[in-house]
Amino acid sequence: MTLETLKPHFPWITLLVLVVLVGALNPSFFDPGALMLLMADIVPLFIMAMGMTFAIYIGGIDLSVQQLANVVTVVATVYLANFGIGVAVIAILIGFLFGAISGYVTTRLFVPSFVSTLAMGFVALSMAKWLSDQRALSMDATLRNDSFGWMFDTTAGFPNELIIALILLALAWFLQTRTTFGRSLKAVGAGELAAVASGLNVDKVKIIAFAISGAFAAIAGLMFSVKLSGGDANLANGFLLLAIVAVLVGGTPLTGGVGGVVNTAIGTLIVMVIRAAMVYLEVDATQQQMVFGIVLIAAIALTIDRSKLRGIVK
Amino acid sequence: MSSSTAALPDGPRRISRETLVKWAPLLVLVVLVLLFPLFEWLEDFRDGKDHIYLLDSRFLSIRNFARIAISASPALMVAIGVTFIILMGSIDLSMEGTVSVCAVMFALMFIGMGGTLASWAFLAIPGALVVGAVMGFINGLVHVKLKIPSFMASLAMGFVGTGFALLLTGGDRIRVEDEAFRSLLTVRWFNFPVMCYVALLGLLVAWFIQSRTTLGRNFYAVGGGEELAKASGLNVNRVRIMGFTLAGVFFAMGALLAVGRIGIAETATGNGFMFVSITAVVVGGTALWGGIGGVWNTLIGVLIVNVINNGMVVIGLPNWVQDGTLGLLVIAAVVLSTDRRSVSFVK
Repeated sequence: MTLETLKPHFPWITLLVLVVLVGALNPSFFDPGALMLLMADIVPLFIMAMGMTFAIYIGGIDLSVQQLANVVTVVATVYLANFGIGVAVIAILIGFLFGAISGYVTTRLFVPSFVSTLAMGFVALSMAKWLSDQRALSMDATLRNDSFGWMFDTTAGFPNELIIALILLALAWFLQTRTTFGRSLKAVGAGELAAVASGLNVDKVKIIAFAISGAFAAIAGLMFSVKLSGGDANLANGFLLLAIVAVLVGGTPLTGGVGGVVNTAIGTLIVMVIRAAMVYLEVDATQQQMVFGIVLIAAIALTIDRSKLRGIVK
Repeated sequence: MSSSTAALPDGPRRISRETLVKWAPLLVLVVLVLLFPLFEWLEDFRDGKDHIYLLDSRFLSIRNFARIAISASPALMVAIGVTFIILMGSIDLSMEGTVSVCAVMFALMFIGMGGTLASWAFLAIPGALVVGAVMGFINGLVHVKLKIPSFMASLAMGFVGTGFALLLTGGDRIRVEDEAFRSLLTVRWFNFPVMCYVALLGLLVAWFIQSRTTLGRNFYAVGGGEELAKASGLNVNRVRIMGFTLAGVFFAMGALLAVGRIGIAETATGNGFMFVSITAVVVGGTALWGGIGGVWNTLIGVLIVNVINNGMVVIGLPNWVQDGTLGLLVIAAVVLSTDRRSVSFVK
């Protein structure tokens, strides 16, 4: 048992230890009803993190997710009256398109993904400010309930939000492990140069990965918007840090190639438990960002594959 | 990595790609300065008003230039800080957090020690610079010692910084109302407030560091080719950590000017600096790959960004256009400054 063979098991061990610790401090944490609510609450973040997993898996990053979610909250609120549940399609298309453009700019124009996605995020912010007229908008309650009220019902005791999350997880997992695209993702993440040499259309794979990241961010934004029954250009701010944390503590390293969406599910649960612990320990909400920033540094340091950096860390 | 940059002996009349890239930022700035008055002229022409192109422009007035200089000063300091990092081929995304922490720490020290420059409170100024240096130093340590790519190390440190600033203020705004300190904005020499001259001084110091010190030369050595620099005996890690520390000091300068400008220190003081400064550096012609560019490029870049922001308001465009424009501009600038032949793949 060396450290390297143990490494893939870190995330769930961490989760288990944290759950036991929090449970010992506060036995009511295990109350199924409360736990279910806690999990339903974190669903938008989970969906965003799941999309981000694809971008990180190929060794990139997507810093536009938060802004994409923002613009979608505005789009959903503004166009709910016109399209009803159809806004979901528009939202996902917007996310997919923004992601694809980021991917195109990264692969074909050679702009590093952290710059291209940051820049596309600001284009999205422009759009959100324009559509919302820089005001906080709210949804018409009846329209919202007619189109999306079912999201907050329960099926056989399970909140529908959780079921949506599980369906998306199953879909992403299938895509990642059971399709040619998934294998190509793995090839690109494990060694881009080798993937190019073996004749794989690496650019296409990467563009699709960023597009998926955008589409998931849009779904997250849509759910968040419906949840809060409104939209504005800053509504989803604060999601970016937590989404990156969820992916990295889950065990998908910044260098890509290993991990995946199931890891991100574990990572999101870790984020949830840390949050719950902070509430219980009465750590002020203002300190959350600091705590998660430090968790992020620790998670990167533990998971990153330094052999891939070839001695040079820029 | 780098392509051949040797000037071709034949055909001196042909403008090479290098020359174009070198002068493009200045050209863009000049075009912008001529373009916005043109829009004004067109509008007045349409309305049938008398308007002599350039002479009657509201954009091309001393008063408006002072406005641009005021908004550019804090951004210039922050952008200069990150210039050193980008010259090394790394990136620093921690500025929002660092600026907030420096601003808040400055305000707390300043008020704690008397609240006016005429007392011991002036020590808060070097104090803030030290805070910036310490933040930058930690940032550099995390990046170098934990071997985390700089964009991620600094992004995470930025989050920690913003969180720390929030912890210090508890979400409150701290007012700095001392007249002597606010003279940074209120006292004007030749139509421009004092803070513009402070920023200019900062620029000259940065230029001196870049061109006349070993550290400055080392930034270029690391950015031009890290392995070569290492092989020739340079302690690259030390240069990197010193670079991040220096950047932290300039972020603190930016924080001081930002507080001087608004008179308030809060967690949100740093908001917006990340994108503006990165855009400015890249648009100014400093290559993201390192080794090319410098603080004068950054001056041009900061001016381009601020002229665009200001000019759009002058010609009556809604302010949401700015974010998107800068987003597209930064992509265009990176594309223009990238030599396709020398880049194999990009993450």
